[in-house]
Amino acid sequence: MSSADTILKRKRRTLVLLLAPFSIMLSVFFLIPLGIMMVYSFLEPGLYGGVEWNWYPYNYGRIIGWPLNDFEEFEPIYLKIFLNSLQIALMTVICTFLLSYPAAFWVSRMKGAKKNFALFLITLPFFANLLVRIYAWLLLLRPTGFFNTVLQSAGLIMEPLDLLFNNFAVIIGMVYILTPFMFLPIYANVEKLDYSLVRASQDLGANPLQTFRRVILPLTAPGILGGSIIVFIPALGNFIVPSFLGGSKVQMTGNLIERSFLQSRDWPFGAALALLIMASVVILVVIQLNRQAKAEARGVS
Amino acid sequence: MNFLNITSARKAYRTPEGGFIHALDDVSLNVRNNEFLTLLGPSGCGKTTLLKCIAGFEDIDSGNISLEDQSLKGVPAHRRPFNTVFQNYALFPHLNISDNVGYGLDVARVPKKERADRVEEAMELVGLKGFGKREPNQLSGGQQQRVALARSLVLKPRVLLLDEPLSALDRKMRENMQIELKNLQNSVGITFVFVTHDQEEALAMSDRIAVVANGKVQQLATPTEIYDEPANAFVANFVGTSNIFTGKVVEQNGKNLKIETANERQVLATSDHFNLGDQVQVILRPEHMKLSPDGNEISECCIEGTVEASIFVGSEMHLHVNVGKGRTAIVHHRHNRGDEGERIEVGTDVKLYYSPNAAHLIELVED
Amino acid sequence: MFDKILDSKIWSFLFKGYGLLFLTFLYLPLGLIFVYSFNANAINMAVWTGFTFDWYLTIFGGANSQSSFDAAFTESPARIFDVVKNSAIVALTASTVSTVIGTATAIALARFQFFGKRLYQAFLILPMIVPDIVLGIALLIFFVGAGFKLSLLTVIIGHTTFLSSYVFVVVSARLAGMDTSLEQASADLGAGPITTFRRVTLPQIMPGVVGGFLLAFIISLDDVVITYFIAGVGGQTLPLFILAMMRRGLRPQINALAVLLLLFTFIVAAIGLYLRSRKK
Repeated sequence: MSSADTILKRKRRTLVLLLAPFSIMLSVFFLIPLGIMMVYSFLEPGLYGGVEWNWYPYNYGRIIGWPLNDFEEFEPIYLKIFLNSLQIALMTVICTFLLSYPAAFWVSRMKGAKKNFALFLITLPFFANLLVRIYAWLLLLRPTGFFNTVLQSAGLIMEPLDLLFNNFAVIIGMVYILTPFMFLPIYANVEKLDYSLVRASQDLGANPLQTFRRVILPLTAPGILGGSIIVFIPALGNFIVPSFLGGSKVQMTGNLIERSFLQSRDWPFGAALALLIMASVVILVVIQLNRQAKAEARGVS
Repeated sequence: MNFLNITSARKAYRTPEGGFIHALDDVSLNVRNNEFLTLLGPSGCGKTTLLKCIAGFEDIDSGNISLEDQSLKGVPAHRRPFNTVFQNYALFPHLNISDNVGYGLDVARVPKKERADRVEEAMELVGLKGFGKREPNQLSGGQQQRVALARSLVLKPRVLLLDEPLSALDRKMRENMQIELKNLQNSVGITFVFVTHDQEEALAMSDRIAVVANGKVQQLATPTEIYDEPANAFVANFVGTSNIFTGKVVEQNGKNLKIETANERQVLATSDHFNLGDQVQVILRPEHMKLSPDGNEISECCIEGTVEASIFVGSEMHLHVNVGKGRTAIVHHRHNRGDEGERIEVGTDVKLYYSPNAAHLIELVED
Repeated sequence: MFDKILDSKIWSFLFKGYGLLFLTFLYLPLGLIFVYSFNANAINMAVWTGFTFDWYLTIFGGANSQSSFDAAFTESPARIFDVVKNSAIVALTASTVSTVIGTATAIALARFQFFGKRLYQAFLILPMIVPDIVLGIALLIFFVGAGFKLSLLTVIIGHTTFLSSYVFVVVSARLAGMDTSLEQASADLGAGPITTFRRVTLPQIMPGVVGGFLLAFIISLDDVVITYFIAGVGGQTLPLFILAMMRRGLRPQINALAVLLLLFTFIVAAIGLYLRSRKK
């Protein structure tokens, strides 16, 4: 280190040294793979897996109806499955919100150690293994499962109910897995809710319902939106939940992707489906970032 | 040989809007060995930037900083024989008090025995003997301040840099610390460069004051010179309160000048530096203006006006006097017990007397 | 007053009741596995026939369990040790490396100014936003295309990449709460950059670093989706093993294995959450 070096130069060298490992890793094992996947989605599927290096936009044709060639047909089922996936993800967002919002107020009104303990209890299941959590719902919902056994022995039903292998079961599983993702951002907002604003609203003549709609809801909206996005994204791409709780009856795009990679070995088609999911995610994130930037410009976060 | 010398230092920051802020704009400053020098200025004037550049936390864009004629260019902060007392003290929360004080010695691998002695000595110096095992957050603001001082002084720096160290203390504590700091500086014989925006603090403690504004040193002088002979209108207004009248010398009789001011008043002053026809600014301190002549003031030397407001502040009555064309002069009128009867009502016509020697003249600069 | 209303008897009763329901929703399913794992009934878990440790013993090859019914699992003890070892190797390596990388990156972004920093920051957390399945297949395509043999190594590489983002976020939060003048003070007192890092920065951010490490460790240990695509034959981890078991049918042994895994991750998570909640 020569002493003629300026402080700035030395800083720059340290900066490069610190940033290099992650930057290189992210480029090689993240950006390039995503790029290749994008390219693959426009290539012809190989006969036994892999790809032929030919321009082949027809993978998308199969899904959205255009463009098509002699071999590929438009199958509306793929779009239907995608729409069903969107619907399931949306329902998951709504249910996790309805569950988490009151719970956030419940915890925020607690004090000291009790509050920390409640937060701990709510966060802990997040760390349970995904499979274990889905497995638990299999035990609850299947024909010989907990609910059916309890209801039957209570004499409320004669035949076991079909609780499994429908949208309802898939949504319950998703909600169970993703609730902490909704709870935490909402809680962060509810926790710092300034009750003097609530009092001001009441003072200005608003009844509790109006106060809720005009003051509390808008003030906690950033948490709700943030939570919605980080629940929606993993719900949309999930294939483990539907494959166990949805069985063969409920398909999501994730299942199609999994199958094209590991069974039918049609990689370009799977890549095209994955890009469909990526596109939805990117659109959502861009909208959210835009909203955030605007909110920041207004001085609220 | 120069001690700490700063020549033509410049530093600019880019603003988020794309412009530049010249934090240091051609600053030259010579700090003498063993003196208590204060950098005084409003917030954002560049005084803290200058301190950071001396400490080595930041580079200057151009110019030079040298210690005993050795340039400090490229010498990082940890190799400079300067230590800083930070505004928020910056005590290490994970270390106890004696480890905080001993930090610099540990880093320099000073032997255990010597380290213990020097830490002990430094703690005693700042009056914190026996506090070694406490944690920083168990101490009051004033005590944390002392720890920060001890932590720096234990290394026997050539220069101690103090970045508004008293601003977080309450008024009483601040006044005590002012005296202590000054005594400490005398006893350890280390050069102090002290940054503050508080003019009273600066006047009370410093050997010399550098008034800084807009990235420039406006005046570098002793506290009495700064107060009595401000170099420009900014210094006159920033240090103490001033009444400034713009005008032109219309009569000259040796040193005695008569100035016709823009608000159509005539002001007398004495000066060697100005002649008939010069454009000048006349600076009159509020406490040098009286409502009746006594002693040095002469009866023909007065300004007429009307009282617009009178504010009682305890020891004094502050009068705002309209002296024509909307110009207001501020007068500090001494208050004696039982003066109630003399209370000056708003609207009273008054004459303001002063001694021509009290009027300080500076050149009028167009801005 | 709304806050008064929230604190009023009726509402606080309603909230308490709701809170208990909420917690029941979160814990009933997991509690059920726990109870079932001690149920001797091999045919229908929902019917309690007696207490047993058999399921725990069988997964470790202990008790000679009842029937040929469990033949599918008799080979498992050796297999289980294998996959547990694989999981441990992956989780420990990936979380250690990602802790180093994530921490270095967090420090760089917290302590240095450079052009395009915000954009870069967004880039760094991208792996957390991209759905698991997309990341999984992208890595699969990449590894196969680049001629990597799918193995534990590919799993470790995949995990390290996205785990570094998590560590980065956790450590960044810690750094944001740290006073930068502490580092300046250290330099000012004569410490070089490395000494400053070791004696001031690291002790200050340690809870964040350990918390980030534990989070990365758990996520790696639990990961199903990404591992599923890039593990290949040689790289089966514990979650993949459980996945295979679940596909073959619901057996009581799964209960026992699930409980063990749950207990382990909960203990690690509890330590991590404790560290994060601790002040300073």
